[in-house]
Amino acid sequence: MADIKKYGFVIDPRRCIDCRACLVACRAEWNTPPGQTRIWVHTDGPQGIFPAVTQTWVPVQCHHCEDPWCVDACPTGATFKREDGLVLIDEEACIGCGLCVNACPYQVRFRNEVTGKADKCNACFHRVDRGELPACVATCIGGARLFGDFNDPESPVSRAIKDQVVYRPITPEVDTGPMTYYLSPPDASAVQVSPQPRKDLPAEVFWRKWAIPIVKVAVGATFLGQAGAFILQLLRGENEYEDGAV
Amino acid sequence: MSDQPTERVPRLNRRKFLQAAGLAGTGVAIVGSGVGDIRRAEAGGSVGHLPGSYADKIVPTLCEMCVWRCGVRAKVIDGVIEKLEGNPDHPHSEGYLCARGQAGLMMTYDEDRVLEPLMRVGERGSGRFRKVSWDEALDYVADKMLKIKENFGPEAMVFSSTHNLSQPLFENLLYGYGSPNYGTQRSLCFNAMVTAHLLTYGIEEPARRYEGMNYIILTGRNLFGGISTSETRALMQRIAEGAHVVYLDPRFSETAAKAAEWLPIKPGTDSAFILALIHVMIRDELYDKWFVSQYTVGFDELAEGVQDYTPAWAARITEIPEATIYRIAHEFAENRPNAFAHPGWRTSNFINSFHTERAIAILNALQGLCPQQGDCMFLSEASVELGKPPQPGYPPIRAARLDGVPWKYKFVPPKLGVFQELRDAILSGEPYQAHGWFIARQNPMMSLPERQKTRAAFQKLGLVVVMDIIMNDSAWYADVVLPEASYLERYDPLHPVGRRVFLRQPVIEPRGQSRSALWIYKQLGERLGLGDYFQYEDEEDYLRQQLKPWTERLGITLDQLKQTGYFEVPDGYEGPTYRWDTPSGKVELASETLRNAGYDAIPRWYDPPEPGENEFYLLTGKVGQHTQFATQNNAYLHEVRPTNQLWMHPSKAAERGIANGDRVRVTSPAGSVEIEVWLTEGIRPDCVYLTPGFGHESRGLRKAFGRGAADSDLHLTFTDPISGGQALTQTFVTVEKV
Amino acid sequence: MSDETLTLEQRKRLQEQVLVKHHLANILTHWFNVAMWLLLLPTGIGILLEKTYPASSTAWNDLMRQIFGSTASLIYWHGVWGQIWIAVLTFNIFVGFRKYFLTFASTRMLLDKDDLRWLMIKPWHMLGLRKHVPLPPQDAYNAGQKLYSYLVVIGSFWIGLTGMIMVYSEHIPTSWQWVIQWAMPIHFLSAGITFAGVIIHVYMGAIFPEERQAFFSMFTGKVNGLYAYLHHRKWYLRKMAEKAAWEAEYRRRYREPAQAEAPQASTAPGTASADAPAGD
Ligand code: HEM
Ligand code: SF4
Ligand code: SF4
Ligand code: SF4
Repeated sequence: MADIKKYGFVIDPRRCIDCRACLVACRAEWNTPPGQTRIWVHTDGPQGIFPAVTQTWVPVQCHHCEDPWCVDACPTGATFKREDGLVLIDEEACIGCGLCVNACPYQVRFRNEVTGKADKCNACFHRVDRGELPACVATCIGGARLFGDFNDPESPVSRAIKDQVVYRPITPEVDTGPMTYYLSPPDASAVQVSPQPRKDLPAEVFWRKWAIPIVKVAVGATFLGQAGAFILQLLRGENEYEDGAV
Repeated sequence: MSDQPTERVPRLNRRKFLQAAGLAGTGVAIVGSGVGDIRRAEAGGSVGHLPGSYADKIVPTLCEMCVWRCGVRAKVIDGVIEKLEGNPDHPHSEGYLCARGQAGLMMTYDEDRVLEPLMRVGERGSGRFRKVSWDEALDYVADKMLKIKENFGPEAMVFSSTHNLSQPLFENLLYGYGSPNYGTQRSLCFNAMVTAHLLTYGIEEPARRYEGMNYIILTGRNLFGGISTSETRALMQRIAEGAHVVYLDPRFSETAAKAAEWLPIKPGTDSAFILALIHVMIRDELYDKWFVSQYTVGFDELAEGVQDYTPAWAARITEIPEATIYRIAHEFAENRPNAFAHPGWRTSNFINSFHTERAIAILNALQGLCPQQGDCMFLSEASVELGKPPQPGYPPIRAARLDGVPWKYKFVPPKLGVFQELRDAILSGEPYQAHGWFIARQNPMMSLPERQKTRAAFQKLGLVVVMDIIMNDSAWYADVVLPEASYLERYDPLHPVGRRVFLRQPVIEPRGQSRSALWIYKQLGERLGLGDYFQYEDEEDYLRQQLKPWTERLGITLDQLKQTGYFEVPDGYEGPTYRWDTPSGKVELASETLRNAGYDAIPRWYDPPEPGENEFYLLTGKVGQHTQFATQNNAYLHEVRPTNQLWMHPSKAAERGIANGDRVRVTSPAGSVEIEVWLTEGIRPDCVYLTPGFGHESRGLRKAFGRGAADSDLHLTFTDPISGGQALTQTFVTVEKV
Repeated sequence: MSDETLTLEQRKRLQEQVLVKHHLANILTHWFNVAMWLLLLPTGIGILLEKTYPASSTAWNDLMRQIFGSTASLIYWHGVWGQIWIAVLTFNIFVGFRKYFLTFASTRMLLDKDDLRWLMIKPWHMLGLRKHVPLPPQDAYNAGQKLYSYLVVIGSFWIGLTGMIMVYSEHIPTSWQWVIQWAMPIHFLSAGITFAGVIIHVYMGAIFPEERQAFFSMFTGKVNGLYAYLHHRKWYLRKMAEKAAWEAEYRRRYREPAQAEAPQASTAPGTASADAPAGD
């Protein structure tokens, strides 16, 4: 128990100042291609009527869900969940099909235009493995982003949510167990932050509904057929045929 | 240097990644042994790009994406800078870097860098240059400068540069050459704040302390948009811990969103608000009587002077309710000593901004923020004294400064100057005609109001030299462009912060032919016969001479410094400690100096001009992703903030048939621009707002060119006679749909 | 197929005859193909995760990943072998295009009227019905085998094409991502259906006693006359006619005295001498 980590984020939108240091840090760490990002700060803009105006910024990245739909969608296992909870992509096992991109209810995945592979936040696992913080968290100017091990009661994330009302971006229909705990309701940008129900792609539907059953029936039938014939052959014996080898 | 990697390209290097991750040979290698922790192996295989944090080398240095100068740890892989991290050893970064700091490496790898000296071949502004050698460029510049000196005197040569570590050498160039004409951009920025605090406390830039502060008044200081890493973080920490922030700004900025109270004050009336607070504090005897009696002069005069500045009076002017003003004054005083009013930073808003700044300085004095000497809120950081190469005195200067300091602007420190006046003097030829302009790391074409005047001023000059790392808008109009090495490629003089002394050092070799300012100034200086002002062999020699006292006392060497990035001076070695450097030696609530010069000894209310029927105040401000006019072409920053929009209140837009996202024409007496409009409830209906720094006209900036609009096309030139500050918000504009 | 009674002597003569059915190139290509299938099928099934696409088993997924060290290298080797498979087959087809492939395709794949009739009768026979209706004579491959060839050729084509799409997916722009998305189920479907065919094929080739001759022929290239006469009579007779014509030509050229006994290939089986030239 103590050894197994359970990594996740705690985000306090009240502390986010929209400075976008996190966005740039991520881009620099991973050299993501222009026009693509693994990390966002969502806002609905100023709300209310002058001068009673408020505005919230909601930092978002992959939530490293406990029950990730992206992992379920990936045919090859290129997307997988590590024991410590991080959902990672093995780029070399990825064929860039984008099924995971479609499956993620939070739209945090994309296909990297340079590598042609699926891409998203991987919580800078290489830094985390060395005891450092992810690049975005390490430089968060507002202190809005926290990262750590929820299994460790002394970790900054555990302490941050202790005795706090927390908000997880889930709906009754969609609950993938996102490992991001928001410390104030992400009501601003609710549309962008809350999960979207799943819509399978035509190829996926064809695969599940047609390809797999057809192959199963075909292989099953031929196998049973030849097995039956083989049994008959054993029962009847072979002598009947006379053209066998000399 | 040709085999130096010059571009930061996405790299696919699996083997290297595995090695870095310590995963090579764990079974992920292609002919795997089949044993080992598969998940971990997969993690190793999971990235094609070698992430920036896998550095071969980590070099401590200093950021130069803004003047806050955070400490940086630069991570290098195969000679390419891959990632910058905040240096936890540096009090300005505390391990953090803002968006600009994080993006700093893309200044070095900007595809639009100027990498060879250039000389103009086409018309000014045609952008046609040829590449030349350093010798040719420097010989040409030196020759021209010597001719100007010979024919028109050294004062005909104008020098301008900004807030740099190499400024002492720049000053050697300028004063050694014999010109008085020193331009900085400070009058466009903080002249009002600096002069007001000099006149009140004898301190240029008061330090701010947030620890324990419960009540903070920010007069337009948008700390969450105009980010100074450690200060911004400190303010957010206080807010999270429950501090009450009162934020005055006609615009709903990032700071407004986080403040407990956003007061959309009428532009130009901040001084009325502060004066009313002073009024209440004195009337209701809320001020720190002990401090005032011990350490200030002029209290009675102040008390009398603010008698009429009641909350009711201020409410009419500021459009902030009387009760609110009254309450804030009381809350502010009740929270003493854990309450302060921020002195502000870019305070170039109205001609009366100087009075606002004086009022803030006084408000803090009434609060007794300096209970004992040595524990003063308004103490500038003590700094460590350093050695320097020997140099002769400067030749005497006979000519007056073109910018009117001090003959027209008595209280403006010469190193601040009045930049807009300088430009106007070049244009008018009064009091004498300038013939050359040497511009280092500045972009007056963007920064000065009335860009068309700046363009015209350039045409009056026989020599325009620009030293920068990219083809900025001023370089576009220059005769000679000198390519400086970026801050990640060069040494600069040491930077003392408190008791620590920090080093900026090259993380990689300079790209192309770019060179450090230390090298360029020395080369040019020698060609001008000023070699005695540049008595160092190279950058490292300069640094060794700076370090010399500490090498002798503490045995600190440059090589050591290169490793650690800084050294710390132990107790007992600090520089001179704090004193109030005013004529009275006390905090001057009423200033004899001002009185003697014919100005008000205590701050007073002056009505600012107001826009006409159909006009708007044109507000300007900062965003957290760009620094002034220099970073819009940075690929990473361009990504997160590509352009600007005109902020406008929906009610006013509706009157004009303007919808969100429409293109509008913004017109002032100075000029007019076209821009996309963004409708927001977060702005006073009588204001519009434009982020500066966009609307570049240099085609040498391929990402930034033509993006957004420049406020310098709209701003009129107004100068506060006391501080020399430009009044940026005194420009009124009309907006119409195109 | 013993629809016709042969005398013992005829049978003996036929058994002594040897006909070449497969070129060495054909044999090698076939067993290369078999080898690649043995590599590709288990790895391919190993890649697809059971939990997502229940066409494999988690145990198999894990085993394959253990053997190869990681998902990435499992996929890598499946891709490498797949490409070798495609490359060799394509190479063989192109190198032997005129000599082998066209002849193969025309004589061993094209269906004639007899084949169509065979196809209409054979299923009944397999069900043990209508045994009295004789099967029409068949060429070197019977109609079932011909159909199987189609399945393999078309299946291999789609397997190869979709495989290449997936191997080189990173060069496919995202706007064409649907191509990758469809490549996966099509690859799976093609391989699956072809494999279903392979099951019957392997049974017929390796286990089914009547085809024992054919099985050995896939190693030696040769079959005896009796098997050929009984199973592939059209081919047998054509071979004999070809041989007779060849011998006549030989004699004419070298002016050897004509044999008293003319070849009776068209009338009675087993009369031509052995060692007819290989090929169709
Ligand atoms: C262990 C498995 C296999 C055995 C024992 C086997 C056996 C044979 C035999 C005996 C023949 C010759 C039939 C004849 O001459 O009438 C043959 C032909 C053929 N086999 Fe297989 N086979 C195997 C696997 C496969 C597989 C996996 C494929 C393709 C997916 C395949 C495709 C073919 C094709 C296309 C032919 C006809 C073309 C030719 O003559 O080369 N076989 N096989
Ligand atoms: S947020 Fe999306 S990509 Fe991240 S683990 Fe959850 S489902 Fe997967
Ligand atoms: S794009 Fe890559 S990670 Fe995503 S489902 Fe396809 S193979 Fe898996
Ligand atoms: S770095 Fe932190 S404060 Fe800045 S935008 Fe990102 S989450 Fe918000």
